[in-house]
Amino acid sequence: MAASLAGTGSGADHPTAPTRLPRAGEAGSAPAGESRGAAGGQDHGMSWTAPTHAPALAPRVRALLAAARPGWPGRALYVLAGLPLAVLYSALFIGLVGSVVAVVYGIGVLLVLQVLAVARGLGGVERRLARTLLGVDIPDGERVRDQRGVVRRVRRLVLAAGTWRALGWLGARVLLGAAMFATLVFGLAAFVALGWETDWTVVTTLPLLLLMALVVCLTLLVLELLVRLTAAAAPRLLGAAPEQRIAALQQSSRRLADRQRLARDLHDTIGHALTASLLQATAARRTLTPAGDRPVQPDFARQALEHIETNTRTALSELDRVLSVLRTVDAQGDPAPFAAPTLADLDDLLAGLRDGGLPVALVVDGIGEGELGEVPAGLQELAYRVVQEGTTNVLRHAGCPLTVAQVVRVDGLLVVRVCNEAATQLDARPGPGGGRGLAGLRERAAAAGGTLTAGPSPSGGFEVCATLPLSGTA
Amino acid sequence: MTLRLLLVDDDVLVRSGLRVILESEPDLTVVGDAGTGREALEVAARTDPDVVLMDVRMPDIDGIAATAALVARDPRRPRVLVLTTFEDDDYLFRSLQAGASGFALKRSDPDELVDAIRVVARGASLVLPDLTRRLIASHVPTRPRGAAALPELTGREADVLRLVAGGLSNAEIAAGLHLSRETVKTHVSSVLLKLGARDRTQAVIAAYESGFMTP
Repeated sequence: MAASLAGTGSGADHPTAPTRLPRAGEAGSAPAGESRGAAGGQDHGMSWTAPTHAPALAPRVRALLAAARPGWPGRALYVLAGLPLAVLYSALFIGLVGSVVAVVYGIGVLLVLQVLAVARGLGGVERRLARTLLGVDIPDGERVRDQRGVVRRVRRLVLAAGTWRALGWLGARVLLGAAMFATLVFGLAAFVALGWETDWTVVTTLPLLLLMALVVCLTLLVLELLVRLTAAAAPRLLGAAPEQRIAALQQSSRRLADRQRLARDLHDTIGHALTASLLQATAARRTLTPAGDRPVQPDFARQALEHIETNTRTALSELDRVLSVLRTVDAQGDPAPFAAPTLADLDDLLAGLRDGGLPVALVVDGIGEGELGEVPAGLQELAYRVVQEGTTNVLRHAGCPLTVAQVVRVDGLLVVRVCNEAATQLDARPGPGGGRGLAGLRERAAAAGGTLTAGPSPSGGFEVCATLPLSGTA
Repeated sequence: MTLRLLLVDDDVLVRSGLRVILESEPDLTVVGDAGTGREALEVAARTDPDVVLMDVRMPDIDGIAATAALVARDPRRPRVLVLTTFEDDDYLFRSLQAGASGFALKRSDPDELVDAIRVVARGASLVLPDLTRRLIASHVPTRPRGAAALPELTGREADVLRLVAGGLSNAEIAAGLHLSRETVKTHVSSVLLKLGARDRTQAVIAAYESGFMTP
């Protein structure tokens, strides 16, 4: 492994050198292009030479037609299906008018709702039809069925713009169906009239045939135009309403932000604790392995094990919290949004540290029972992180001295302080910096319009203090 | 010859672990350590290390800015090896751009770490050649191909630069071009001189930035 990294193990590298040289010589881009080209060439060889040997006519005709007008069978089917569907939708509209009239007599409300529900359902069918046959990309709208409770469902059914747009779509389909029907009838009539009700003589045959062809082409052209109109209108009337799309976007960006925060937390807490533990363990093993004139240092090893113990314990409790968040699902079975820790979670955090041997007390001032909601969620999380980082650093660097975590609300400020007595661990280094998290926390405090200070306290311990405006931007 | 090292990391546990691991090598000695970028600059000025092992995220001045400051002070020494917890592409590329000679993962095997330090000090190869080359190639904005922005290189020097940018070590280049290692060393030095690059990592960045190499 040493040789592969240094790249100086010339004996091992010699065999690979010749094969790597041309690649490097072609500026690195050539191999990708080359391999792509080679693969493409193979593809052509496979798919285009084979059919000439096989005399299967049908697939070739189909391929020819598909190449001329991609998706034409679907469109033809769409036109034909449009005719009976238009009749059905007309019936639905008549039903709607009928039930509105019935409302006057006091019995039609349920009927109206029924018709609207059917219209929404048909909108779904139409959406699938347009997707399959026309190849139009239509996003799903909201599902009234997913609403809980009959009242909410009815309210969404009547108030959702989607319902009325679906109804509008069905109306448009009726009109388009009528237009398609008219086009077909007219085309067919003209065709029949030319073919059977005129005198076919030697002179008139050619012009008549041309006219008939023209009629067929015109009919197809008009139908094609109608289908295109449909395909263009479908996403607007059948797709998700703009407000729904905005809501969906907002939700997905919220999810993304949640995930990024989760990643950052994992990086700062567990990733960092594991790295430090790994290096301590590696070092400890070295100090216990006698080599040459190096003495064995059991003291260092014992201390390293203590650090590893602390680090691992805090990493596990953070992992526990993250996993419980990941496992939580909301009522619909979707993953719940990542719940950031709040001030209410501080008790659990400190209980875990007490298990680890740290005598720590929590003092909360100026936030009464039920007033927790008055502190913005982002600020609560930041406060939690300050306490977490501050107390964990005490364990890491000072052993187990008496420690106090304080959260005070005063004059529109939230003051979060973690301070400890003098270190119990003799070799602890109260140097600047402390844990990695402090740098990140300082940035976040500044972003929230506040400040974070950390340094030795007059009593010989260490103090981390964050002052955050309650009306800040956290 | 012993290599003098400076450890920069905001976690005292990482520093103490690294110190023990590195001091157990006969040719390495840790001459100082620092918990912040600012402290690193002070200690470096006092102890004159050969290689600085630099963490990226730190309070006050971060590792990228500290690297840039060290390079600005003296482009020859010390060389900077960036140590990271995770392969965060953006941070790594920015630290190379700031003048770091290479990077290594904190979790890598102690032997690999020690080798990376020696490679950085000697400069005969890139650290983690494949990773470094890919990182630079994917982060440098693409330019039209052409050596216009590069100073006049001889044909041989251009060949050597291509291979250096391909991540090859001096020994590999010597074998590939049927030259002696001493000749390759001379070519590499003159390429670095012409490009104004302090080491081969910077030469690779220059090769991609000028469009001499394309991703």
